[in-house]
Amino acid sequence: MSMNRRKFLKVSATTTAAAVTVPTMLVPKDADAKIGELAYEGEAGKWVASTCQGCTSWCSIQGLVVGDRVVKVRGNPNSPSGGRICPRPHLALQQVYDPDRVKTPLKRTNPKKGKGIDPKFVPISWEEAADTIADKILELINAGESHKFLLMRGRYTYMREIIYGTFPKLIGSPNNISHSAICAEAEKFGRYYTEGFWDYADADLENTRYLLAWGWDGIASNRQTPWFIKQMGNIKDRARVTAIDPRLSATAAKADRWLPVIPGTDSALQVAIAHVILSEGKWNKLFVGDFADGQNAFIPGQEVQAETTFNEKHTYGVVKWWNLELKDRTPEWAEDICGIKADEIRAVAREFAEAGSKAISWVSPGASMQVRGAYASLAGHALNGLVGSVDAAGGTLQKLSPPVNKSPDYKPYLDPKLTANTKKPKIDQRGTKNFPSLKKKSGGGVVTSRVAQALLDEDPYDIKVAIGYWNNFVYSSNGTQQWEEAMAKLPFFAHITTNLAEMSMFADIVLPAKMSMFERWGYLKSKQNLHGYATLNVPMIKPYADAKTDETEVPFLIAQSLAKKGFDGPLRYYQENFKDPETGKVPQNSEEFDLFALKYYLEPLWTGKAASKGDNITSWKELVEKGIWKTKRFTPGKKIDNFKTATHKFEFYSETLKKAMGAHAEKHNMSMDEAFEAANYTCRGDLSFVPHYEPPVRHGDEKEYPFIFAEHRSRLNREGRSQNTPWYYGMLDVDPGGVADKDVTKINPLDGKKLGLKEGDRIRITSPQGSIESEVHLWEGTRPGVVIKCFGQGHWAYGRVGSEVFGSKPRGANNNDILHYDWERLSGSNPRHGGLSRVKIEKI
Amino acid sequence: MANKVKCGMIIDLHRCVGCGGCDLACKSENNTPVGIDWASHKVETYGVFPDTKYEHVPTLCNHCEDAPCIRVCPTKAMHKDNKGMVIHDPSICIGCKSCILADPYKVISYNQQSAFLDYVTDDSRIVKGGTFSKKELSEASNAPFPNFNVDRGADGYEAVRKKGTVEKCSFCDHRVADGLAPACVVACPADARIFGDLNDPKSEIVKLLKTYKPTVLLPEKGTKPKVFYIRSFSNKS
Repeated sequence: MSMNRRKFLKVSATTTAAAVTVPTMLVPKDADAKIGELAYEGEAGKWVASTCQGCTSWCSIQGLVVGDRVVKVRGNPNSPSGGRICPRPHLALQQVYDPDRVKTPLKRTNPKKGKGIDPKFVPISWEEAADTIADKILELINAGESHKFLLMRGRYTYMREIIYGTFPKLIGSPNNISHSAICAEAEKFGRYYTEGFWDYADADLENTRYLLAWGWDGIASNRQTPWFIKQMGNIKDRARVTAIDPRLSATAAKADRWLPVIPGTDSALQVAIAHVILSEGKWNKLFVGDFADGQNAFIPGQEVQAETTFNEKHTYGVVKWWNLELKDRTPEWAEDICGIKADEIRAVAREFAEAGSKAISWVSPGASMQVRGAYASLAGHALNGLVGSVDAAGGTLQKLSPPVNKSPDYKPYLDPKLTANTKKPKIDQRGTKNFPSLKKKSGGGVVTSRVAQALLDEDPYDIKVAIGYWNNFVYSSNGTQQWEEAMAKLPFFAHITTNLAEMSMFADIVLPAKMSMFERWGYLKSKQNLHGYATLNVPMIKPYADAKTDETEVPFLIAQSLAKKGFDGPLRYYQENFKDPETGKVPQNSEEFDLFALKYYLEPLWTGKAASKGDNITSWKELVEKGIWKTKRFTPGKKIDNFKTATHKFEFYSETLKKAMGAHAEKHNMSMDEAFEAANYTCRGDLSFVPHYEPPVRHGDEKEYPFIFAEHRSRLNREGRSQNTPWYYGMLDVDPGGVADKDVTKINPLDGKKLGLKEGDRIRITSPQGSIESEVHLWEGTRPGVVIKCFGQGHWAYGRVGSEVFGSKPRGANNNDILHYDWERLSGSNPRHGGLSRVKIEKI
Repeated sequence: MANKVKCGMIIDLHRCVGCGGCDLACKSENNTPVGIDWASHKVETYGVFPDTKYEHVPTLCNHCEDAPCIRVCPTKAMHKDNKGMVIHDPSICIGCKSCILADPYKVISYNQQSAFLDYVTDDSRIVKGGTFSKKELSEASNAPFPNFNVDRGADGYEAVRKKGTVEKCSFCDHRVADGLAPACVVACPADARIFGDLNDPKSEIVKLLKTYKPTVLLPEKGTKPKVFYIRSFSNKS
């Protein structure tokens, strides 16, 4: 073939002249990973940076834009994950070009609301939509009940500051409710109450020697997925990997050991491992310290006596932990509870401890998003304390964060008459007696799924007007039935969404959202490979729909409408504070506001002000082109003795938890024991402040419901949003135990035999919560007694591919129909794991 | 030129995590419709709980030295190019499917109907006036479908293949001609795919083939595949 001159120059500039004819390049980072214009078969295409939000790895990516279309995606070479992407960003191409996307604002014409009821949507203008919403808000304000407005946030960019952080307050409501408790708050609980870090961990994968993965399927789902994928081969070359999961997960399939734990019993296994490490003298003496006489007094079955001195170094309470919990937690004790043989527990404990400060115990939602998962979160993370891998090279790490501007003060723009309403209790009942939700303090965190019950009970009050964006709680939260009922009851609901999801089917107004990866401005903060970073969402293409950015443009339009009707606080707040930092121009329309607000927040990153902390980027154009600003590399070791805990030490005995729960108990005039009882925990006394075994909660009588139900994520799930893309279905067998084009339930062949089930049989799975239909896949990767199904399918609304009949009949089944409506109350989380629902299985 | 170029690929199963990123990158690069996958995979679970093993093996055309599909093609539509790749020319394909019958790897697909025809004909939508039809998107994007990759259509090769012809992996010959690695190689987040010149002793692929004992699929068929597998997916004993 002929090669035009321009293309020849481009190729020869990056490879040797010989490579033009002889393909010796073949290392993609040299051959392909260029930024900017790429001459390509006579077409000029441009790789434009943006961010994938198919999970919370939040990877910086690039899309190839040809003309006005995006045709391919790849990793951003500037990203700290080595410019790699997992399979999920590819699916986003079919997501952005999904024919079932909402094209224009819609209005409900059928006043009747309920599952399967056609809302009879008709198109309306943005002006009519914004005016309708503004009128509803003004009705509340005029009636003195502005607190009865609710904003529900699902997935987000950090431009959430506009719609979630400040908009509800500016109209006099305390109710900005996030989705976070559906996601992974219980995972953060363990890190916070040991080392004062309410966040996801980073890990030094390049130096680690052992990875103990608690329900963690890092090469398939959250977090840092492409970085873990890239490192997995290297890790296997030098380290051992043990995966703890009732299912042979993608990570378990690559691991040296698979421990198929009984769901909800992780804490038994964890304390048994800790027991072995201490009783065999294998703890890290440099980090934890040692007995004064050098004699190991951690003798199984015996307390360490008061007169025995342990000189503890960077940790707090190791002897209390032993005496209160660990002394009797032998592997033999754990074996029957967790289903892992004592010998194997001992072997894992020894291997893990021998890797010392380079051994990572990584707790994920699988091991913590359980009804009593807070202590598995604590115990799993405390293992890092025993081997001294906290804040260590090869160990588990905290993070560096990109410095960005804070939101301007909204108070001068808030009508003083509304101030009192912004201080009313939030609708999710956080911090009440039964919902401590201890994100740092009583009521510090959200209890997302409690909102459904609160709406039904009108407790603490009745919500009258609600907006939801990028969320689908009716589908994505335990208790779909409660959510359906609550949403049907809600008098007015506006949903900002790309697709008509289950939640939209209860909406009075539907507003089309721009798709985050390709159509809008925004940014995310995340971390991978020891770098914190801010990565941009960039509108590389124009939407075919008349869509707006949910977090910025929509509140701006509502603010304009409110101002027109005489309530101008929000609009003044936006226009006076979010001028273009480069030109000083005041935003006159929603698109200008979308861009100027982003430039405002990121201003330290593109003016060189943040250069001492990371990349030196000196213009907005440069930041957009690179797509990402990275911090310097995290240096381990600086947090030790400086943890944000009550003692500044790594706490095995959590004084920090004692303080937080103490304040909660006091607030409700309860004893500490009563407070733990109200939170559905069995611990009493000092045991409550050390990591310990908590028996799992299982709803359903074992005789009637003989199986434990467990769920997992597909590596192709873009959270719940890839199920209307045809590519998703054809490839579902890339999940171990998955079957292409199906939504199977994985059952061990022994159980299949007992139930008389064959491969492909249709079954009904029933829990006390509800019932779903599925198809049997007999699979040896499932623990007998446990039935396992992937989350993600079973949408009765989302589009024609995701549903069998849009609006009424799902394709596959939604696990949340059978997962019990319950909570992990210390963190407010949705306990989707841990086998909280027992089920029975019937052939149909 | 000293040696003729001979392109081959290694898939390092130790590095592969079975994610399917390669398969999807192939779909967006090569405009393959639903049901036709040039890059795919085989999976297998063996053993009895709890000693269960899982294997994922990525698959694609093996670009065999002795390719049965070329041998049986009556029109020479299936042929070898100057880099040793097995290439198909749809313009002279008569759709006889002999190649499909001869191919022991089952990596050749037949276009029973025109690909993406639904984007020409389907004007249905889930909410009248509120959502799109496929036809509407195709018209708005001025392309057979919105994320259509026009660059696949290099050198007379149809970017979307016609009804009645076969298609298969071409080692992304259109990219290789430009000095770029095949889409699946670039997309692999695990760096498990190594593409290169088997006749160049200094190439990475040749070095790795010397370091590890490679295997090929169905060696007994005598086709001499140029896609090699090294190491193993699972290391549990």
